[in-house]
Amino acid sequence: MEALLQAVLSGLAIGGIYALVALGFNITYNTTKTLNFGQGEFLVAGAFIAVATVLLLSGKGYRGVLQPEDVTVFRYLVGFVAAVVVLGALGVLLYYTAVRPFVGAVGLAWVMSTIGFGIIVQATALGVWGPAPLAMPSPLGNDVIRFGSAGILPQEILIFVVAVVVMVALDFTLRRTKIGKAVRAVAHNKGAAALMGINVPMIVILAFVVSSCLAGLGGLLVAPITTASVFMGLVLALKAFSAAIIGGLDNPRGCILGGFLLGLIESLIGLWHAELREISIFVLIIVVLVFKPEGLLGRRIVEKV
Amino acid sequence: MKLSRVLFASVALALSAAVFSQDIKIGYNSDQSGGGAAEHGLSGRFGVEAAIEDINKAGGLLGRKVVLVNRDDQGQPPKSIQNMNELIDSEKVVAVIGPTNTGNALAWLHLPQQKKIPVISHVATGTDITKRYEKEPKNYIFRVSMVDREQVALLVAYAVKASKTKKIAMIADSTGYGQGGIKDVTEILKLHGLTPVANEKFQPKDTDMTSQLSKVKNSGADVLIVYALADANAHLMKSMEKMNFFPVTVGSWANLASPFVNIAGRKLAENLIFAASVTESSNDRAKALNARILAKEKNLPIFVTAAQGYDSMMLLAAAIRKANSTNGEQVRDALEAVDGVQGIIKTYNKPFSKTNHEGLGVGDFRLAKWKDGKVVDFQDVVTKSITPADLKK
Repeated sequence: MEALLQAVLSGLAIGGIYALVALGFNITYNTTKTLNFGQGEFLVAGAFIAVATVLLLSGKGYRGVLQPEDVTVFRYLVGFVAAVVVLGALGVLLYYTAVRPFVGAVGLAWVMSTIGFGIIVQATALGVWGPAPLAMPSPLGNDVIRFGSAGILPQEILIFVVAVVVMVALDFTLRRTKIGKAVRAVAHNKGAAALMGINVPMIVILAFVVSSCLAGLGGLLVAPITTASVFMGLVLALKAFSAAIIGGLDNPRGCILGGFLLGLIESLIGLWHAELREISIFVLIIVVLVFKPEGLLGRRIVEKV
Repeated sequence: MKLSRVLFASVALALSAAVFSQDIKIGYNSDQSGGGAAEHGLSGRFGVEAAIEDINKAGGLLGRKVVLVNRDDQGQPPKSIQNMNELIDSEKVVAVIGPTNTGNALAWLHLPQQKKIPVISHVATGTDITKRYEKEPKNYIFRVSMVDREQVALLVAYAVKASKTKKIAMIADSTGYGQGGIKDVTEILKLHGLTPVANEKFQPKDTDMTSQLSKVKNSGADVLIVYALADANAHLMKSMEKMNFFPVTVGSWANLASPFVNIAGRKLAENLIFAASVTESSNDRAKALNARILAKEKNLPIFVTAAQGYDSMMLLAAAIRKANSTNGEQVRDALEAVDGVQGIIKTYNKPFSKTNHEGLGVGDFRLAKWKDGKVVDFQDVVTKSITPADLKK
């Protein structure tokens, strides 16, 4: 029973990370039907910029070792602003260099170009900060919050809350606001949207900026859990992408659901046979793709001829 | 015109050949950017560079300057093989120090063996590395590092004595490193007449091991042996804290890496006991080298591989002097005969022989733990009761 409670708590904590990254895939997919396959490396960039900002604020240069007392809530918030601003700019750069030249063109050039852009970002981080992971103590402290004999870290609760808040905000913006309607119009039919006076390029750039900012936010939030490591991007992005596929790539609620589902499956299977975790996740993906290709909460797209 | 060109070309060629023969080239082939072992490779290079600096300051070797030819294998076996070919065939190095990954070593050991270039493995711990060509008339592979089998002997000896219930569990990452270590642990536990009560696995990038630890807890184990790299072990400690479950936990030398304490935090890091060949506070030479490298490279992640890199280079230098030659075969023979070489870890008195190519052995290893953010030697009633007979291997 204890073990089960711990597995559920841990699963939700990890799931929150996947969900947050998965939302980044959702935004660009909804507007351009392209994905930033470098999303994981953007997460790396976000984490390192946040850690470096906090390091600089505590007067330790841009690389060094943070102690828990160095990470105040204020410094963490400045780190947040820095990560989001830099990543937003990186999103614009990504769009102009790696997406726009290829979008709408035949073939999958954008897949390679976004992967390539991500690798450039990762290699730059490697050059600047080196291969050793940089630890980032949580601004909320490291005291475990206990439920009976099971425990969870305050930072994990924060990730969970932020993931849900971001999802609600995205959902609301997409469904209820003018700009959200414009985004959906662009997603539905670019030509028609342009004819209706919607500034299509602006909306698309906005999507890449928001998606990259989310990666920045994700990096900042997961750094205290996973540490800022140059190599963390690929694994996280792959799991998050799987979460988005399971839940429904075009639906923010689906991405969140997929993320938490994946986290829970991982930790619950771990209670039984840890080595079967990856197998069960990818079996689940195949099953979902066979019976509900649009994902659990995805919209079935009916092609009207 | 034509003649002068030919003359110019031949003079240039002669000059470059002269420059070539002036410097003694030592190859360095390690992961410095690829993954978990990159920190070991990078730190190791800092140590080798420090040694070369000392050698050149004292006038070089055989009146010639020593230079390091550095190659990064990114942790990839194919890249490592390519580096090895390049170092031996194009760069004409005298000897090679490296690699960091046992898998990479096993992928190219045949090259230096066939081409008669001595290799000192300063990081990779796989037991097989020095054993593969043991039966050949001349084995070109040496090591100045921990050896899995030897450190496991120490860890298991401690685990068995520390366990009151004699219920010992194991947990490891799913890579060759973790699973190789687990194989050694299982075999040595058997020599002590025990079988592990739980054997759990996790992925090297996992950050939550509570599910696996729940199973360890349910098995009733009071000692846990962990075989994984520093960052994963730090996450393991964090998961232990979540569950408030702290069995006596012992691990490999990988926990000497600073990411372990940085991720787990100072207090949690103190809960793990691990094997080490040297720590930055073991002796004055270690303290001096640590301070010297830190002054130049702010991010020295792992001191111990720097020390092993330094000692490897010093042993090579002694062998080149003794051989009075840069011929690979003669340097190899001299390595088996060097004596009284002062290193960081110890003074190497006849470290190598025809049958033994391990510069360090279980007798040189100690148990250590983190205390207030520094690695210190660890001793308690259990360590004091360990006798040589307990170190079964």
